[in-house]
Amino acid sequence: MTAQSLFYWSLAVTALGLVIIGLWGVLTRKNILRIALAFTLADTGVNLILVWSGFLPNRTAPIIDSSSITSVVDPLPQALVLTSIVIGVAVAALFVVVGVLASRKSGSADIRRMKELRW
Amino acid sequence: MSLLAAASIGTGVMMLVAAVAALVVKKLISAIIIVGFVSLSASVLFLLMDAPDVAITEASIGAAISTVIFLWGRGKIGGEE
Amino acid sequence: MIRTYVGLIIVLALAAVVISAVPGFSVPSELPYIGQNYAEQGVHDTGSINLVTAVVVAYRGLDTLGEVVVLFSASTAIVLILTLIPIGAHPTPPSSIVSFTAGVLPGAIVLFGIYIITHGHLSPGGGFPGGAVVASAFLLVMLGSNTIPGQSKMLASIESLAGLTFGLLGFWGMMTLGQFLNNLVLPAGSPGKVLSAGIIPLISLAIGAKVASELSGVFASYRKSGGAE
Repeated sequence: MTAQSLFYWSLAVTALGLVIIGLWGVLTRKNILRIALAFTLADTGVNLILVWSGFLPNRTAPIIDSSSITSVVDPLPQALVLTSIVIGVAVAALFVVVGVLASRKSGSADIRRMKELRW
Repeated sequence: MSLLAAASIGTGVMMLVAAVAALVVKKLISAIIIVGFVSLSASVLFLLMDAPDVAITEASIGAAISTVIFLWGRGKIGGEE
Repeated sequence: MIRTYVGLIIVLALAAVVISAVPGFSVPSELPYIGQNYAEQGVHDTGSINLVTAVVVAYRGLDTLGEVVVLFSASTAIVLILTLIPIGAHPTPPSSIVSFTAGVLPGAIVLFGIYIITHGHLSPGGGFPGGAVVASAFLLVMLGSNTIPGQSKMLASIESLAGLTFGLLGFWGMMTLGQFLNNLVLPAGSPGKVLSAGIIPLISLAIGAKVASELSGVFASYRKSGGAE
């Protein structure tokens, strides 16, 4: 494996690993704030995968200065990720507020005790 | 192994270990700070992938604003253990 | 304990499915068609040398309008919940380090935020991170003071006016050039100057003001509901 492909695929492995760890945390943790933290980790991993999909090695950032070289990386996934990061923090804020309300109502932050959410 | 490959592998391993640690540690405040650290390392990875705009946005919104929101939530329900 | 291992097996199976769907393990060397188009024609079409800002504000301006609506609805929901259902506690008084820093730093932070907002089409940045930096300055001022903020009507009115400005800029494009959010109602100018790139600087200002006042309103409602610890 050349150093360049090692660099390229190590980024993808990191991002996919973050999504996997975040999903595992949502499935197995019991405190409602820890579930929110795991969700934020998975969201960060997804943003990393999106930016990685537009990355090509040996090119430069998509800001065209006066030397007018058009060997830049793809600017479209970066625009998508800008939107996604802002929406991710809005979702995390709503998650935390509703989680705090649910834990106040049921008396503890353990999701096994939040019985009003079951049918 | 070039410098870029070493930087990305080192940062990647650090991020994955920190992510597992954030979900396993006992105190909630440690978990919140470690998630803020993972967001900051993701900002470094965005810079390695030639995306400075995304790196600034992730550092200011993901690492700062999100950490404040979680700290407020933890102050309301108390840390575990 | 059983849940941990069952969850591990499920996510590892999911990872195996995802990895087996990757088409090839070779490093690409050409941009896709749309990306190549944006890279070649972006500066000439919009006049902004930051291609990501050109895509976010000019080529995909309608999606940014949708994102502004999503952020608005989320922050309105949070402020509504925290105002109607108060969660009581007392804010802790700030220590001397925090109150001294809150008297010195916020001016520089606001200046840096305004720089990021207004130079969105020249260097990395734009409306969203600039607005978040200005909101961080507001948070620092709030954490360093002993009083709880009163009814934040000015923040709500700034937020509404900024959102209205975004819509009105779009309608200006529709009335003069026949296309909603057309970038070239103002001239593209020479790339590299602050006053260039059509209405991208104006939209960046509107987005920055909206995000800053929104996040500041959310922080103020956290503080009013009892303590930003």
